[in-house]
Amino acid sequence: MSILYLAFAYLRFHWIRSLVLVLVAALILAVPMVSHTLLRGSQEALTNRAEATPLLLGRRGSQIDMVMNALYFADERATPITMAATEEIWDSGLAIPVPLHTAFETNGARIVGTTLDYFDYRALEVADGRQIAVLGEAVLGAAVAQRLGLGPGDTVVSAPQNLFDLDGVYPLELKITGILAPTGTPDDEAVFTDIKTAWVIAGIGHGHDDVVSVDASDENVAAAASLLQFNRITPDNIDSFHFHGDPDDYPVSSIVVSPYDDRSATILRGRYLDPENPLQMVVPSEVIGDLVARIFRIKTLLDAVTVIVGAAALAAVALAVFLSYRLRAPEMRTAFKIGAGRGTILRLLGAETALILSASAVLAALCVILVQSRGDRLVAYLLSL
Amino acid sequence: MRWIALTIALLTAAPLAAQDRTRIVAVNHPLAYFAKRLAGDAAEVVYPVPEGRDPSFWRPGIADIAAIQQADLIVLNGAGFADWVKKASLPRSRIVDTSRGFAGEFIATDTVTHSHGADGAHSHTGTASYTWMDFSLAERQAEALSISLKRMLPEADVDPVLDALRNDLQALHDRATEIAARLEGQTLIASHPRYQYFARAYGLDIRSVSWDAGAAPDPAQIDELTGLVQDTGATIFLWEAAPPEDARTAVTETGLRDVIFPPLAVPGPSGDFVADMNAALDRLAALSG
Repeated sequence: MSILYLAFAYLRFHWIRSLVLVLVAALILAVPMVSHTLLRGSQEALTNRAEATPLLLGRRGSQIDMVMNALYFADERATPITMAATEEIWDSGLAIPVPLHTAFETNGARIVGTTLDYFDYRALEVADGRQIAVLGEAVLGAAVAQRLGLGPGDTVVSAPQNLFDLDGVYPLELKITGILAPTGTPDDEAVFTDIKTAWVIAGIGHGHDDVVSVDASDENVAAAASLLQFNRITPDNIDSFHFHGDPDDYPVSSIVVSPYDDRSATILRGRYLDPENPLQMVVPSEVIGDLVARIFRIKTLLDAVTVIVGAAALAAVALAVFLSYRLRAPEMRTAFKIGAGRGTILRLLGAETALILSASAVLAALCVILVQSRGDRLVAYLLSL
Repeated sequence: MRWIALTIALLTAAPLAAQDRTRIVAVNHPLAYFAKRLAGDAAEVVYPVPEGRDPSFWRPGIADIAAIQQADLIVLNGAGFADWVKKASLPRSRIVDTSRGFAGEFIATDTVTHSHGADGAHSHTGTASYTWMDFSLAERQAEALSISLKRMLPEADVDPVLDALRNDLQALHDRATEIAARLEGQTLIASHPRYQYFARAYGLDIRSVSWDAGAAPDPAQIDELTGLVQDTGATIFLWEAAPPEDARTAVTETGLRDVIFPPLAVPGPSGDFVADMNAALDRLAALSG
């Protein structure tokens, strides 16, 4: 007991040196475990999300970019397809298509324009407030709501797509009607709105004051250039909102396709095999399976690097401890002269080392527990980057 | 497989969680009537529009939309009928647009072109929306609805009821064709532009004024009608709803014979679409000599 007391007193007296040693040892222990935890979490998150999404339809091109954008709302911008592709799937009677429009952001979160089918499909529930009902409304993922400190009744404003595109996408104020229950998936990091609202942000639909006839016939009404277009949708102006063009031409980033059965899935996949077809249908679990396999090939290399770096770091720590013992040689001689045996001195040094390693292990364990407890959220955030 | 289970869950679990009995919402009376006949006791059919409100222009509140979102099947007329659906968030997997199959046969109405500053001109083309007034199109709407019902209610014996409904609608079609033949060469004027599909299907010349249903026309509207009668030589006036007595007097004073011929977007006196439409055709037949 007295040995431990003396060791602790020594470490406390040299607290800066002790702290550095504890932190270094904790990092050496924690980094491989944390990286392993995050990688395993990422693998599970990627795989689970992909397996829950049977088919994905989008513009022919990078399959990984398409899947990362549609499933994890990552920054990769999908080249849009049109709503005609959604209607084709409906008309086929083989699957339920769920269109996604992911071109816009607000406060660093992806705005996902979709239909209410998405909420049923991903089993997303509104924990606070209510579901979106009309144009201009949005529900927030749990993590976004917590990060921004927003709740039902608050508003968010869509970010302009291009600062210099003064004639293009205007910010639209979205009224928050609800907050989704946390799911530990990228849905926690997204702002969901009706796809029609996304088209309003895109400028395809708009609302404005009454058009004033100027030099106009009954059938041709020319509005003043100063005509006010609404940048928020309210019960008073919603009736003035309208869309232009053929709805089949409206843009969609990608379409989650849920076939009714295996046969329907096979037929649908066959329809998009032609490389001349500008659309491609992918199986996300296959795309993500390839990606995960690559990640784990790299991880094997990283593991080897981690072992080498860890061994070098441990050797450096051992050297530092050894050198500190050399520096403490006069102190040990004094202890020997006042009656402490060699065994006592060795036990004292051993106790100091044990205390430092114990503190490091506790700190490393805390780090790992912290990462594990917030692993889903961390992984969702990392995947959405 | 897991995603097939998810698909089944998508189709069934969410709405069923909200209520035990299958619930169908239809945006107008003809579709509600078709749904009631086809689904029978297997489902509760709801016509959500309050009494006295025109379903073409009714705007549901947030609570109404929330209730409609929970329905197992939302039956839309399409062709621009109930425009609020374009601004509401509804689950597409539970929507059946009964006129989608004949979108190419819609009747375009007035086109208005306007421009916003330097954005260039663009057009808004209207669409006549009372599609069921062509009873052959009504039959196709019933067929489209039956496909969704058969998928949603496998236990319901939809096919025999569909055959009976088809027969009823075919009988209405035959009757309308016969009456229209007797009205050949005559021009009719309607109190509201609701009869475009009826006119096209049965070869009738039907012009329209735009009077509020059930309201008395003001002197300017009577003047407009008089001018129209002089221009077209019209002989028959169609009321979409029972008018005030003085309105009938004003119309008949222009030389027109009038008849109440409701398109039945809202429930008629008996609530039976086929019976009420037959009664309306009876009244029109009485004028056709």
